Amino acid sequence: MKEEAHAWEETRQVAASIIRKRSEAGHLTSRREILQELIEQNLLPPCPDEPVADADLQSLLKAATEENEDLKELLGQDGVPRYFSVEFLSETYARILLHKEGDPLDMIAEIVRENSAKYPRPTSLETLQGPPFDLTADQIQDCLEQMQGQAGYEDIAQIRTSAGTVFLYSATHLDPAYASMLAEWLDVGQFNSP
Amino acid sequence: MAKYGGWAGKVLRVDLSTGRIWTEDTVEKYKDYLGGTGIGYRVIWDEVPASTHPFDPANKIIFAVGPLAGTGAPCNGRTAITTLWPTCWPQPLVATGHMGGQFAAELKYAGYDAIVVEGKAEHPVWLSIVDKQVQIKDARHLWGQGIRRATIQISEEIGPEAAVAAIGQAGENLVPLSVVINSFSHSAGGAGGVMGSKNLKAIAVHGTGGVRIFGDKAEWEKLIQYHLSLLGANNQHVVPGSPQPWAEHYNPASRWVASRGRKWEASTPAVETGTCEPHNLNRIAYRTNNLAYFLGPGDIGWKYTVRGNGCTGCPIRCHNVLKVPSVSAKYGIPEVGQNTCAGLFFGRAFFQNFPDGPKGLTAIESCMVGMHLADDLGIWCNYSQLQRDFIKLYNNGTIKSKLGEKESKSYSWDKYEKGDPSFLFELLPRIAMKEGELGTALGLGTGYLLERWSIPEEEWKKDSKTCYWKLGHPRHHTSDEAGQCGVILNTQFNRDAQCHSHTNFTRNGLPFEIQKQLAAELWGSPDAVDVIGAFKPMNVYKARFAKWSLMRKELHDALSLCNYMGPWVASPLKERGYRGDDSIESMLYSLATGDRKDRQELDQVAERIFLLHRALTIRDMGTKEMRTQHDTIPEWVFLDPAGKPPFTQGTVHMDRNDIQLAMDMYYDEMGWDRATGAPTAAAYRRAGLREVAEELGKRGLLP
Repeated sequence: MKEEAHAWEETRQVAASIIRKRSEAGHLTSRREILQELIEQNLLPPCPDEPVADADLQSLLKAATEENEDLKELLGQDGVPRYFSVEFLSETYARILLHKEGDPLDMIAEIVRENSAKYPRPTSLETLQGPPFDLTADQIQDCLEQMQGQAGYEDIAQIRTSAGTVFLYSATHLDPAYASMLAEWLDVGQFNSP
Repeated sequence: MAKYGGWAGKVLRVDLSTGRIWTEDTVEKYKDYLGGTGIGYRVIWDEVPASTHPFDPANKIIFAVGPLAGTGAPCNGRTAITTLWPTCWPQPLVATGHMGGQFAAELKYAGYDAIVVEGKAEHPVWLSIVDKQVQIKDARHLWGQGIRRATIQISEEIGPEAAVAAIGQAGENLVPLSVVINSFSHSAGGAGGVMGSKNLKAIAVHGTGGVRIFGDKAEWEKLIQYHLSLLGANNQHVVPGSPQPWAEHYNPASRWVASRGRKWEASTPAVETGTCEPHNLNRIAYRTNNLAYFLGPGDIGWKYTVRGNGCTGCPIRCHNVLKVPSVSAKYGIPEVGQNTCAGLFFGRAFFQNFPDGPKGLTAIESCMVGMHLADDLGIWCNYSQLQRDFIKLYNNGTIKSKLGEKESKSYSWDKYEKGDPSFLFELLPRIAMKEGELGTALGLGTGYLLERWSIPEEEWKKDSKTCYWKLGHPRHHTSDEAGQCGVILNTQFNRDAQCHSHTNFTRNGLPFEIQKQLAAELWGSPDAVDVIGAFKPMNVYKARFAKWSLMRKELHDALSLCNYMGPWVASPLKERGYRGDDSIESMLYSLATGDRKDRQELDQVAERIFLLHRALTIRDMGTKEMRTQHDTIPEWVFLDPAGKPPFTQGTVHMDRNDIQLAMDMYYDEMGWDRATGAPTAAAYRRAGLREVAEELGKRGLLP
């Protein structure tokens, strides 16, 4: 019994280190990935009955996240949790990684809404082209075209600065004139006031 | 052993008229003014009569540093240059320029806290300072040379370790818009002509000593590490510009542009910045890349970046070394250059478009051409006002109307309109040489230029695109980004305000709610700050924020801390709730010098220093009516092109009555007279400036 508890403890620690290691490399970790690695390390037997193993793993990870303050869980759009360590990945960055796994339209909309509400600021298309979003100009354009007229994205609007740069904002959080002024400041004004 | 650490102990005095060289005891005479601008203002007050012209031999120019220069304190590389300012219009008044580089530390290591130069040499000279050996040397062979050649020739003579602060042809020709530059790219605008008027080509200094730290070495080292831990990127931007794995917040407006995958591509091999996690203090120097920042989030800036560069003791490296191979063959200039901010974009700022767009190769080439020419000829841009004036005067037809046909034809205007950087070879040398009407007029600075061409100053004051503020100078971080606080600060100086204390907070990149939380702790209420473009009416906390900003600027300029980086009241550290430390300056000062002063006590010294600036301004203007005659605000601050009322979202313009209230509250915070905006006798006495009050009282200049 003691041996079993000891083995369980070791497995939890290894699971925690798997999450941390992948976080350090800039990745979220799913249960399936943890399971796979634990099996490869002979800490869990190859399991013919995956649901049973998964249930065990769920309770193991629950205990691991309770024991380790740095380990966090985020629920994906598929309903499956992802794990990460805030020692290496901030919650903001983890959410972006989660968005990247899902629908790019949702990612764009959520990023734009968060920026409009929190800082507040409109979001340039150039920002979405950079890491970690890494969308191409064509992909962004496709997404914006798809958003038009599609339910759930009515608040996402575009503005163009005097320098021709396109910014997105959420009309729920910024009125058009304010968004326009902020975009002009970000794109032109601040560089004239270095 | 000296009673205090920090100070080198001597002020070097040089009279170029007589050749006399002597020293004074720094602590005995100037300790109450710390150093830097404090020494500068005190010397001007004591020794330069009112109404002296900047180019008169009776004017003095003071190169001064503070007790933290040359120590291990971060960001300590600033030298303050104080003199009567030739571009201050309609009459010259006291002002300061500030150069980074290696000059400040070398001066301390040579044993001096300041150099005061007076008189005028019979022929061009340069000042050689190697520890105690100070010599006035013949510079006739250097006169007429650019800053680069002069620096190299002097370095060959005095040794490569020396820091050489030199003027170019612009300074020699008494062009008001001229600079002094040390270490090739670290300039102080406005002072070049004053050196030229004294026939002083350069000051070269090399020291073999050190700076004694009074306190315990381990405690000092611990404090330095603590200070380093609070640093952000350039301008104390404390969040990265793009999402990073470690960062809870990001802000594309941040100068913290490092990111995984971002490389200094012109290095061989290319150097990746990495994510620059803030606890890794060995990566601070990788956070900032001002070339990439100013050219936007694309790849173009990174492509030409070799590395960062900067001042002694500063890990920020806000200067960029860039390599643009194409300029060598096209324009005959070196393919490598370096500078930062307005200096980096000196050439680009003249143009209104480029054949390949604002972020193309030609734009970078114009940066290179402008930088190499201006930093060699020694031309000052007056915080880009030179370029804005040129554009406005070109677009409204004034330039062509003021030039004779022959002179107008001597310029390739087609090149200018096409965005061809070679146009700068026609324009910039003529400014430095005062050649022709255009070159001469542009070199005067805005105020004297407008007067020469009979253009009412009001035209500039009502056009927000000019960015013009007053006294011949532009705004510097004002209402458009910091509301009433920015307005107040821009009223206080005799050139552009050069104050970054406020903007280094409001533009630090943190979400607004966190900024408000920090503001509440620092200035008494979250309402001390507003989000850009959603300004709220004036309140007393904003006045406190303004006073604090001003005091910290003066403190930094006196201690030799960089106000382009400090204060450090926010930090990149999540575990501190993004708090910095408002006492870092007093901790550094106390431990370095042994003169223990807490935050408030040191701020009182800063207030004394600024009161001297105010007293000098009042004395030399000959009026106490500061509120109406000096602390003026241009019309454009109150105008909104779309007619939006003040305090509505989406406008940055201010309300006239509210700004009057802002000035009332500011004067109250300073303990000055509301009606005149002049310090009272009691205010001077409180600051230990009884004799200043008495002098002003005799002249009828007290409220």
